[in-house]
Amino acid sequence: MTIWRPNLSLLPVLIILSCLSFTHTPALSASFEEEATEFVQNLAEMAIRDLTDKSTPRTQRIERFRTYFNEHFAVSGIGKWILGRHWRKASEAERSEYLILFEDLMVVSYVDRFAAYVGEPLHIHKALIQDENNITVFSEIHQKEGSTAVRVDWRVARKDGLFKVVDVVVEGTSMSNTLRSDFGSIIRQRGGKIAGLLEALREKTASLRKDDG
Amino acid sequence: MLIRFLESIPKARFSLRFLVLAFASVMMVGCATAPDPKDSEAVAEYQQINDPAEPTMRAIFAFNQALDNAILKPVANVYRNAAPEKVRAGVHNFLNNLRTPVIFFNDVLQGEFQSAITTLVRFLINTTAGIFGLNDTAGDLGIDYKNEDFGQTLAVWNMPEGPYLMLPVFGPSNPRDVIGRVVDFFIDPLNMWARNSDEEWTIYTRTVVDAVDFRALHYDAIEDLEKSSLDFYATIRSLYRQRRTDEINNGKVDPSTAVPSIGQFQDEETEPRASNEISQTN
Repeated sequence: MTIWRPNLSLLPVLIILSCLSFTHTPALSASFEEEATEFVQNLAEMAIRDLTDKSTPRTQRIERFRTYFNEHFAVSGIGKWILGRHWRKASEAERSEYLILFEDLMVVSYVDRFAAYVGEPLHIHKALIQDENNITVFSEIHQKEGSTAVRVDWRVARKDGLFKVVDVVVEGTSMSNTLRSDFGSIIRQRGGKIAGLLEALREKTASLRKDDG
Repeated sequence: MLIRFLESIPKARFSLRFLVLAFASVMMVGCATAPDPKDSEAVAEYQQINDPAEPTMRAIFAFNQALDNAILKPVANVYRNAAPEKVRAGVHNFLNNLRTPVIFFNDVLQGEFQSAITTLVRFLINTTAGIFGLNDTAGDLGIDYKNEDFGQTLAVWNMPEGPYLMLPVFGPSNPRDVIGRVVDFFIDPLNMWARNSDEEWTIYTRTVVDAVDFRALHYDAIEDLEKSSLDFYATIRSLYRQRRTDEINNGKVDPSTAVPSIGQFQDEETEPRASNEISQTN
């Protein structure tokens, strides 16, 4: 006669497995969506609070936006992606100058535009997970009372529980993709050299900075 | 009416042929320099840009910009400053409502019957309760405007877009959208009526008002783009294509679009954490 004796050595493994299967996938993905949604919501609220005040001098708003941009956007990640294959060919000095100029261009050209967009109520209606660390948050912004809403999708990435925006897609047009075409075209026209792009970026940021917007 | 419509086609075909010929001869003048065939990445980029007549297209773009600066932009600026917002909204709604038959046909041609019904319901509500389409009453009720055109229909039918084109006066396009424009013009009952009853002025008036409405509506966005982009031509080319893709997909995210997101943020540091390591800490 044999007595059934449970194999206790397997118990810890079973417990871990059951924990994983119950909590891991569904709970994690649900909270990922919630966290990303909250991140975008906060982003919009901070923008309204810190960036929409037109009485603040423009230079001060630019600096505020720079902090905001660096804190909540994957600035160098976006910059590298925009350059694509040209990034590999660039020298160390060109790379660092490019990233500085890219940040400058974004900050001076978006400081007014960004506030104008996000300064209005933002309605988030869904979030779609791409993979475990990338998610898109879909929102609508009603710019004026009665006018048609503008669709804005936020592509967000997560690392160590920290969220950063990697792309903003307005009515199907991606900021990163558009810049990639823009920069790529300049490089092609200037003999495939990064130096040509850096020159164009220097001129552009200087002229935008002068602008009182 | 149908016979008269058919009769008008040969005339149109003649002028189309003339246009195509004129266009082809202009195209001969400037072609983009093809990249070194050994550089596979450059070749891929060239194919993706798909703008073989770029120098010519840039010349046409410069012409369009001059025209815009001289006429359309100042007119749009006066319009958006002088006409009250209510009036401009009314004009915009009225124009959208006039497009309904064309949208309806294209809904049907794309097999989007649900959308076709929505388009029809919008038309009925806005033409009656919305007073000849001046108010978007249907939109207020949550039945939103959705544009369709024959260029989109051809895309749904899997016709490729072809090379990028910059049309004089009309702006960014491609062969598929050129065909779309022509077909939309001919299937529009309002245009049929105008041509059949010698009231062509309505066609011209509508085209002009349409252009002013569009320019005024996007005035700030266009200014911003021109100011902040390094190459305005390349920026417009990219935006036009992205916008069209979005319209063809009816706003659904196209999974094939390249995005910087995947992996980019993770790559920022030299020692990326393994993905399983990240999930375990959560």
